[in-house]
Amino acid sequence: MENIRNFSIIAHIDHGKSTLADRFIQLCGMVTDRQFHDQLLDSMDIERERGITIKSQAICLPYRAKNGKDYILNLVDTPGHVDFSYEVSRALASCEGALLLVDAAQGIEAQTLANLYLAMENNLEVIPVINKIDLPSADPEGVALQIEEDLGLDADHIQFCSAKTGKGVDTVLEAVVNLLPPPTGDPEKPLEALIFDAFYDPFRGTIISCRLFEGRIKAGDTILFMSNNAAYRVEEVGFFRLTREPQKELSAGQVGYIIAGIKTITDTRPGDTITLKDRPCAKPLPGFQEIKQVVFSSIYPVSTDDYETLATAIEKLTLNDASLSFQKDSSTALGFGFRCGFLGLLHLEVVQERLEREFDLSLILTVPSVNYKIFLKDGTMKEVDNPAYYPDPTTIERIEEPFIKATILIPERYMGVVMTLCMERRGENTHHHYPMPGRIEFTCEVPLAEIIYDFYDRLKSVTQGYGSFDYDLLDYRESDLVKLDILVNGERVDALSQLVHRNNARARGLHACEKLKEEIPRQMFKIAIQAAVGGNIIGRETISALRKDVLAKCYGGDISRKRKLLEKQKAGKKRMKTVGNVEIPQSAFLAVLKSDQ
Amino acid sequence: MSPESLPTGFTPASGEESPGLYLHIPFCKSRCAYCSFNSYACQSPPAAYLTALASQIRHWADQQWCRERTFATLFIGGGTPTIYGGNELAELVGLCLASFNFTEDAEITVEANPNTVTMPMLTSLRRTGVNRLSLGVQAFSDRLLGALGRSHTKGEACAAIKAARKGGFTNINLDLMYGLPGQRATDWRESLDQALAFGPEHLACYELTIEEETPFARLVEKGALTLPGEEEVLAMAALTHDLLAQAGLPRYEISNYAASGNQCRHNLNYWRNGSYLGLGAGAVSCLSGFRFSTVEEPEAFAALVQKGELPLSEGECLSLAARFRESVVMGLRMIEGISLARLQRRFGLTPAGYYGKMLEELQEQGLIVLASDSLRLTEAGLPVANQVLSRLV
Ligand SMILES: Nc1nc2c(ncn2[C@@H]2O[C@H](COP(=O)(O)OP(=O)(O)OP(=O)(O)O)[C@@H](O)[C@H]2O)c(=O)[nH]1
Ligand code: SF4
Ligand SMILES: [Mg+2]
Repeated sequence: MENIRNFSIIAHIDHGKSTLADRFIQLCGMVTDRQFHDQLLDSMDIERERGITIKSQAICLPYRAKNGKDYILNLVDTPGHVDFSYEVSRALASCEGALLLVDAAQGIEAQTLANLYLAMENNLEVIPVINKIDLPSADPEGVALQIEEDLGLDADHIQFCSAKTGKGVDTVLEAVVNLLPPPTGDPEKPLEALIFDAFYDPFRGTIISCRLFEGRIKAGDTILFMSNNAAYRVEEVGFFRLTREPQKELSAGQVGYIIAGIKTITDTRPGDTITLKDRPCAKPLPGFQEIKQVVFSSIYPVSTDDYETLATAIEKLTLNDASLSFQKDSSTALGFGFRCGFLGLLHLEVVQERLEREFDLSLILTVPSVNYKIFLKDGTMKEVDNPAYYPDPTTIERIEEPFIKATILIPERYMGVVMTLCMERRGENTHHHYPMPGRIEFTCEVPLAEIIYDFYDRLKSVTQGYGSFDYDLLDYRESDLVKLDILVNGERVDALSQLVHRNNARARGLHACEKLKEEIPRQMFKIAIQAAVGGNIIGRETISALRKDVLAKCYGGDISRKRKLLEKQKAGKKRMKTVGNVEIPQSAFLAVLKSDQ
Repeated sequence: MSPESLPTGFTPASGEESPGLYLHIPFCKSRCAYCSFNSYACQSPPAAYLTALASQIRHWADQQWCRERTFATLFIGGGTPTIYGGNELAELVGLCLASFNFTEDAEITVEANPNTVTMPMLTSLRRTGVNRLSLGVQAFSDRLLGALGRSHTKGEACAAIKAARKGGFTNINLDLMYGLPGQRATDWRESLDQALAFGPEHLACYELTIEEETPFARLVEKGALTLPGEEEVLAMAALTHDLLAQAGLPRYEISNYAASGNQCRHNLNYWRNGSYLGLGAGAVSCLSGFRFSTVEEPEAFAALVQKGELPLSEGECLSLAARFRESVVMGLRMIEGISLARLQRRFGLTPAGYYGKMLEELQEQGLIVLASDSLRLTEAGLPVANQVLSRLV
């Protein structure tokens, strides 16, 4: 056990975690040059396309240190975006140490702090690593000072490297071996294994990623899930190298996988403890904090026949993405679907894309909403996260909406624009202080609903990418809200309704109409799009009828090409939902909530 | 319709009619700003290309599929075929006629650009059997021709038409374009009037399409090209149908107009989704349902042929149902529509049986008419044909 190191790489988004992981993998000789490509651990298509990590990814590396000894390094690359911080916290639960990466040009940012706190809560040993020292704008000494003074981390332990050029990466690995503690635990004790991730494999059933704290496990053992007493016979255990590598056994201190022919998806829950049936441990490990989803949206299949497929797809996805919640829902416009809870808008988009790609579905997501508390005149309170269930306004006494405390870190020069942005978003009680020279930490209390409404994109744009942002839920506060409805050719589309502040209703209504006009293609007849509050129409756009849609030429040489064009047009229609007689593209439902940048 | 209920006993050659032969000449004096055809600018076209083409003609004429068939049309298109000299072209036509079986009354067309034809060339083409000339006029206005990047002038176009008549051509097509940058409905009317004054047997009137990766596409992206608005373009289209119908050239395909008996038989075969052999760089063939294309680059084409290899690039072979749908989609481009008897002969399928409810919906929307012997687009369906075709494809 002396020669094992379990650690995560944590940082703000884009500070180079996945790139550093690449260098580690290469230094440990895990891949040939031919197998290698950048951000090797970002294996999902959607990660590669967006250039960000979405899932924590574990890999087990053999490493011969300068002292001549051989080590097993269990590395977990984590995501940096706020929406995926639950991935980080689960990864940290499987580790004794963490590398906290800081971009030498950007310095400390919001998720640098947030992730450091997470590591500290898990009692991890933290090594600060200043990355991207190759950048012309890098200021390693300045950033080192920030780390020492603002984060209170030991200056002697700071590592400097460039994950891009590889400079200094070998000394970072040495620091991992020398500064991080080996795991503790006793292989002879009853098994205590924490499930920190899982995914469903159609052939082998659920594949569980776990960290063994005590005991050992091998093929043939009968395991027990402590939360529901489900028992299974272990078929295979092993390590995650670039692929799964079966091992004879896993023992205390190790990180690996278990396959046990688990076909009942709901039996496996990340955070649960696995023990052995004939020799169980006394009590389960602490597990993970309950997650609070903050954004809600309903997911419907474009084709109503796909409802069953969607149901199993969501179940399978929650195995691999424990931060997603769901329950049944229905809509007059869209039929049967699921109301889902997300950690943010990016999370929502990722879930949509993963469901569509991994399960070959075509989906519609309704306009995202937060959870409101609606106090009725009869003295009862109703929680509503779906505008479709908004009660009759005459029965409402008052409404409360969730507020957050937003923490924004920016270079001083952006103070003005950020302040304006927060005011536009109904921010109150703003504060700021100077945690370090030239940088401002700006805090502000804002309704959560204003944050899901493209706040992050706007912040990035007004601060030219320099602003970073984190938030905590505060409390519920009274608000003057109204329900904004959208009518397409006179028919109310429940999936497009949203709750908005009365003062913003008109602007939001106009914006929604404009966006829909952009998104809905012209059809054979004129389409009226209206925004309404109660019975009042507050915004209107018209999409004129399509009058011309024809290919001028088609001869022998391009029959195939022209046919393919038509087939593409046909496929596009399949991704549209007919509401009344109007075909609304899938993209329209989310577009309503996005701003123009 | 479920696959079980597809008819059996039909082969890709069932109900087949006489095929056409197409030769592609992928060279032009200069490239027009809107053009996305497979064509390359050059002043004097390479002789090696013609050698390769001739060798392909001999190769294919010797294949069983061709030997068993009698071709009804020959079409030499481009590019600009007349960038080669009259003798070279006449030799090419002669070689085709000598190598393949042709029907007695075969339609033999050569495409030409006004500033590349000469009187001797026209007479020699006529003498070898070419009986149809298709001239790329596009517009009768030097301003518009300039804007399109065409290499000829209005004067050259008029001279070419007169020369063709004098050379004995009694079946002439003029290509014209509308919806051009800076063009008004009145300009278009003038072009049509000018064209009609020459009494052509056939007119092809294309709305300008901005094709990807052309100079026009780049200009549009930069916002540097102002095209006439939708209303104006629709007015031009309406004007075209009216004026040409009055002039005895009724519309017979989305963009084609002809005097009775002068419809282009070579192109009708494409719209009926018939068989054809296409030779030359980038040409496409469809032999009894097997479709394949030739490498686009003329030099690569010539090199492969010289090495004795088949210069092919891609092929596809569609299922019976897919060929049926493709035939419907192509056939609806014709004003008279698609013959139900023909569909039955070739595929054993009827549109009503195959498409079911969808066809009824389109009829209810007034976009198509299902008559006892044909399926066609209505007056209202024609300008939005893609809306219909993308449902039936
Ligand atoms: N110049 C320079 N660029 C780097 C270095 N390390 C990473 N990058 C670049 O920074 C960008 C982000 O790198 P990633 O490794 O994807 O960052 P990450 O921290 O994994 O990002 P998330 O997973 O999305 O949080 C990429 O374009 C990298 O090429 C470095 O040392 N120097
Ligand atoms: S003459 Fe015809 S083929 Fe040649 S560039 Fe112009 S449009 Fe294209
Ligand atoms: Mg990453």
